Amino acid sequence: MTTTHAPPPASPAAPAAGRRTVPSALLVAGAAALALAAAPLLLDEFRLGLLTRYLCYAIAAVGIAVAWGRGGMLTLGHGVFFGIGAYAMAAHMTLANTPDGGLPSFMVWNGLEALPALWVPFRSLAATLAAVVLLPGAVALLLGWAVFRRRVRGAYFAILNQALAAAFAILLVGQQHLTGGSSGLTDLPVLAGFDLTAPGAGLWLYALVAAVLLGVWAGYSRLMDSRYGALLVAVRASEERVRFLGYDPTWVKTSAYVLSAVAAGAAGALFVPVTGIITPALVGVIPSIQLVLMAALGGRYSLIGAAVGAVALGAAETAFSETFAGGWLYLQGALFVAVIALAPRGLAGLAESAAAAVRRRASAAPPGAGPGAGHPVPGRKA
Amino acid sequence: MTALLTISGLTVSFGSFTALDGVDLTVHEKELRFLIGPNGAGKTTLIDVVTGRTRPDAGSVVFAGADITGLSEHRVVRAGIGRTFQTAAVFEALTVADNVDLAASFRMPAHRLLRRRDRSSVPEELDRVGLAHLAGRRAGELSHGRRQWLEIAMLLAQKPGLLLLDEPVAGMSAAERERTGELLTAIAEETTVLVVEHDMEFLRRHARAVTVLHEGRVLAEGDPDAVRADERVAEVYLGRAADREAADA
Repeated sequence: MTTTHAPPPASPAAPAAGRRTVPSALLVAGAAALALAAAPLLLDEFRLGLLTRYLCYAIAAVGIAVAWGRGGMLTLGHGVFFGIGAYAMAAHMTLANTPDGGLPSFMVWNGLEALPALWVPFRSLAATLAAVVLLPGAVALLLGWAVFRRRVRGAYFAILNQALAAAFAILLVGQQHLTGGSSGLTDLPVLAGFDLTAPGAGLWLYALVAAVLLGVWAGYSRLMDSRYGALLVAVRASEERVRFLGYDPTWVKTSAYVLSAVAAGAAGALFVPVTGIITPALVGVIPSIQLVLMAALGGRYSLIGAAVGAVALGAAETAFSETFAGGWLYLQGALFVAVIALAPRGLAGLAESAAAAVRRRASAAPPGAGPGAGHPVPGRKA
Repeated sequence: MTALLTISGLTVSFGSFTALDGVDLTVHEKELRFLIGPNGAGKTTLIDVVTGRTRPDAGSVVFAGADITGLSEHRVVRAGIGRTFQTAAVFEALTVADNVDLAASFRMPAHRLLRRRDRSSVPEELDRVGLAHLAGRRAGELSHGRRQWLEIAMLLAQKPGLLLLDEPVAGMSAAERERTGELLTAIAEETTVLVVEHDMEFLRRHARAVTVLHEGRVLAEGDPDAVRADERVAEVYLGRAADREAADA
């Protein structure tokens, strides 16, 4: 038909893309499950504890991959949602470790005589488990709806989130009688009647966190495979165009933001029994940025990539802090710049490019089977 | 002929600049109407007002008997008006088939949007614009002309009552223009189409009814020959175009 058409695309396998993704996703899922199952056999108890902590971050990173990677919302304040989940769980575990009718010791030091109303619901484990996902979800729903409806996006959205994380940390420090102030909530040895300091407890916690991670990843991946997932990617590309297709982007974005907040809330709630502590420093601005960095490093467009990024960054932090204490923060900054500039699709992108290169080499071998050879000429009008 | 779109007294100004100055325009059902005019005549502004992108200072837009003036963009689409943009706005990261599928699903209830998709069938609209063989490609790999067709396929999948096309043949080769003209003529047998166009040759070959805008007002209206014969039109538009053609030759 014509001269202006672009040359055949570089990737010969492209027409089969829809079919190819299903088995490769299963393959990745299988490999991830296998690696998670093998880890307790290969690591000592201390290392397994560290890995469990990284997996908590991985749960939050999967959520960030949904909001930022798919939906284009740079969520620089996820420490807030992580923190809401974490503080809710820590409140419950603090009460579980307090004798009946007594007050947590930090409240006594702050001169409180009765349990504040805000803390009362967290006596119940069921209420706490509901709160760790519903509270972050509700906050994200209100905030997202208010912000996206006014068409706030891009850097403004990121800055707003960042400010929120800063304000949240300041609030936690200021409300010492409710939150334990800057030293946070510690001394949390019991969850649901189990002694977390007992031998073998670490393995159970690891299994729990790994199961939640796999569940969140599988559920969110499946959702991304729906029309809603395509719609989210479309919103990232052009909100305006989506509007002219008859969809209201406000709800598309708000729901993705809520999904990512729920994942962060669950991650925070799991983080507390794993580490036995939560403080404002663990949920403020810097942890919020670190969560985004994890997703960027692993590959924000890939949900599993973001999870791998969380583990990789956690492991790197531990390794470097053990050798050069203090240098880590600078290295982390440099890493972020390097990833954004050189490999914007992160580790997952590098893996995909490598796989594509291997396929190209393999398909280049048989002669005469060039990609452009058999293109049908489009009918004039069908 | 029944009126499908009735625009009355439409006025839009941006600061001191009046983009539209009391425009009246009626488009009938199953019509293929061309909207022409020199740069700055207000053609795109008119489309923007109809589709809810720009709010008018005065006047009304009535579509299929309902007043749609000032509705938000997605509600106008839901009322049955689809549009394309001057630069084809397709979703490059999605496949060609997914682009059409997404467009087709806009009335789907939320719980069905969340379900996993069956990707085995190719939307029939792709067949119609001759892109069915590219269904699995990413839209970002398409040439400019094919993107325009993909955008038209996306609109067709929405089964709108009125299609607004903003310069659909800009940047296309002669063969692509010809094919687009045939496609639009075929579409106009089922749907009402309003085309904003600059390209005079395209207009001569495919237009049956033309409205000329100039400085925010309707200057002339009628069949292409009558409009071409109009002296005022020749002066503001065709004259200049003729000069340009002469200069090109």
